[in-house]
Amino acid sequence: MGVVEYILSPLLALIIGIFFLGLSRKIMARIHWRYGPPLTQPIIDIIKLFSQKSGSHGSLFNLGIILSLAGSIVVVLFMPFGQMCPLKNSGGLLVILYMMLLGPLGIALSGGEGANPNISIGISRKLILALGYEVPLLLILLAVMTHYETISIVEVVKKQQHAGWSFISLPLLLPGIAYFLILPAILGLRPFEVVQAPQEIASGPMVEYGGKFLAFATIQHAFSLFIGIALFVNLFLGGASNPVTFFIKMLVVFILGLFINAAFPRFRIEQAVKYLWRWPTLLAFVGLIVVLIIRR
Amino acid sequence: MDRNQLAKWLKAPAKMGHKYSLHVVYFCTGCGIIEVPPVITARWDAERFGVIPVATPRQANLFLITGYVSVKTLKAIIRTYEQMPEPKFTVGFGSCPINGGMYWDSYNTIKHLDKYIPVDGWIAGCMPRPEAIFVAVTHLWTLIDKGMADGYKRYRENYKYYRANQEQLYGTLEWPPLFPIEDKNE
Repeated sequence: MGVVEYILSPLLALIIGIFFLGLSRKIMARIHWRYGPPLTQPIIDIIKLFSQKSGSHGSLFNLGIILSLAGSIVVVLFMPFGQMCPLKNSGGLLVILYMMLLGPLGIALSGGEGANPNISIGISRKLILALGYEVPLLLILLAVMTHYETISIVEVVKKQQHAGWSFISLPLLLPGIAYFLILPAILGLRPFEVVQAPQEIASGPMVEYGGKFLAFATIQHAFSLFIGIALFVNLFLGGASNPVTFFIKMLVVFILGLFINAAFPRFRIEQAVKYLWRWPTLLAFVGLIVVLIIRR
Repeated sequence: MDRNQLAKWLKAPAKMGHKYSLHVVYFCTGCGIIEVPPVITARWDAERFGVIPVATPRQANLFLITGYVSVKTLKAIIRTYEQMPEPKFTVGFGSCPINGGMYWDSYNTIKHLDKYIPVDGWIAGCMPRPEAIFVAVTHLWTLIDKGMADGYKRYRENYKYYRANQEQLYGTLEWPPLFPIEDKNE
């Protein structure tokens, strides 16, 4: 089982991420009162993109996108999916926190070689947004780690299966809400869709990506969707004992996020940071203090 | 529509992918662009055929030129077309790109778009209705199926001809040739 998990876990994450991409397009279409594309449209797109010729801008342009994809795959290996977690004995939340930054960083490295002004604006927005949501995320993870007295995400899931979801327990309620508030920023959904913003900066860091590069970027996006939601499910919704329950929990969270995506317009970048550093940070900070008080 | 026939996907995945995932750059040259918003939004919903607008030519494989082409915008059209990854398809929308339309004697517009970039299909009319874009897309599917949507190949083979036409219009071009121009006289 051990070796199989290393292949099965990223594969499942990829399938779920691409399914979410297709589902998001379908659900957004239904909210617009359109019929919408078929669920398989992202797969069709990826097949087409891989069969296209694509121009490169240099070696770092190629390596950056691979770094980004590889970073996402490594995070998936640390993420419990049901009972499946290939690297359960090592790492934990701190490693996930560090490795989650490799995705944006790889895109930034790759885009820097592209030398398009839209890329520079997109990357600066992406890193500023990452700075915006990393502060509340750190506080949230600190609260979770303090409450369960462990840095292992597998332990967090195990303790929740005995004591119930941490989202509905008193000390971790506020960090849970804070994580849900920053979830659109982590996933790049609409109120925080400042990075791509096709109408403003012509899809930002993706401007010079065509063909295979765009295919890899889409796959990386699918992985990052999986990671953002799976982290929420693992930390606050009690993980799951089998993959099916885990998938259903992820689906519910993602569809809620999509409704937010459909209802809100886009923040400007300074509005986004102002929001992220005010309400989610405040909630996470109060939650951390509550956790500390209850432990005494 | 044979989008759901698995056998065809296994036989020629690339061709089916190009058919059912058309990412479009709508080049807003003239009045024709007003027909595009109803096409991509809730009224006619082009996304159910996999046709979606993208923001940059690098991500696109269908180039829709809507309306008259002035001499100045032609330069941008050529550069946009050359940036798109192959295989790429071009469709001229409205009668102006076909033969000049109502601008046939204007000093500032070009008459025949296909002298400057290869065009795979035309939508005639002034203005065509938004449904005409869907007719064009289904025709383009047929052309891709038969391998007749080969504008990008024609551009490579006859690059000397296209480049000469472009240079005739502008004198000198600010960008180097996309493909090497071999001299047939030597």
